[in-house]
Amino acid sequence: MIQPQTHLNVADNSGARELMCIRIIGASNRRYAHIGDVIVAVIKEAVPNMPLERSEVVRAVIVRTCKELKRDNGMIIRYDDNAAVVIDQEGNPKGTRIFGAIARELRELNFTKIVSLAPEVL
Amino acid sequence: MKVHSCIHPLPSTPSTGILVSAGPAEAKLAANTRKLYSLTLNSSNYVPFPYKDQKFSRSSSTDFSRTAIGSNVSEDTDDMFDDLLRTHGKVVYKRNDQKPASEEIDDDAESLSFAMAVAKVASDVKAGDIKVLFVKPLVYWTRFFIIATAFSRPQIDAIGTRVRDMAEEQYGRVASGDSKPNSWTLLDFGDVVVHLFLPPQREYYNLEEFYGNAASIELPFENQQQLRGPTGY
Repeated sequence: MIQPQTHLNVADNSGARELMCIRIIGASNRRYAHIGDVIVAVIKEAVPNMPLERSEVVRAVIVRTCKELKRDNGMIIRYDDNAAVVIDQEGNPKGTRIFGAIARELRELNFTKIVSLAPEVL
Repeated sequence: MKVHSCIHPLPSTPSTGILVSAGPAEAKLAANTRKLYSLTLNSSNYVPFPYKDQKFSRSSSTDFSRTAIGSNVSEDTDDMFDDLLRTHGKVVYKRNDQKPASEEIDDDAESLSFAMAVAKVASDVKAGDIKVLFVKPLVYWTRFFIIATAFSRPQIDAIGTRVRDMAEEQYGRVASGDSKPNSWTLLDFGDVVVHLFLPPQREYYNLEEFYGNAASIELPFENQQQLRGPTGY
């Protein structure tokens, strides 16, 4: 359940460390975003000497949420953190590698690029 | 047999904790799944390891199963789980609906023939440095990766369109993924995933290195390309 003002970790090596959600892309008055949703976020913390800088506005895909993700077969997945992957306007990830486990729902939502860079898919 | 009938396996929620925790070695995730584990245990109507109990009830004790349903759950679930793990071991059981090995090989062969056909089409449209990787041992979600370089967006468009047409005509498959030409265009056919890169992107993402442990498959037409020189254009 990501909403504007939520802080998220960054699960890639793009150079951003922490994001803050400022808008959810989708319907006009959408309240919460879940795994696989695209958000507009601002970089609150960044690694020095990297292309992305603090207070830059970027797009990101949510890959992990503390709120449980339920599957049709009854499986429930819940992560310890809220994390997102920075993408560009075309949908390509800004980083080259993804960290941590991600859910396979991302593939069904056409983020196969992120899935193919991830070390582990649940 | 009486006990057998009174145990109703819940929809697979309880097994989630086991299934997820069995795979990853990451400590963080293990901690995460433990939480999930305890959460599922607290629900009062939860029967631990129903599929194992069914197996169990015939051979040894029916008393054991009764205690599992009744008082023990609320008292000390951790001890009970330790006992269960000691008796049965931390084993992931195989599902019955899995395909036999021969069928798996048939599926692999079919995917391979499709992957080769895609590589051939890409080579016809002069894509450079085509690689077919057998990634099934590394990731569960697909079998083959095809990585190719195109030198312009129109060329990426041409390769994408040709591959899509061929797949639909000859194999009846429809790709998901990018519909517009992109600097990294991805066509997802399920068991075969095609990556088309522009040269800078190919170097930047370096997928071959990431999947370095995957077996690379020899292409029959590769030799002809090498005669023309390594750049190919």
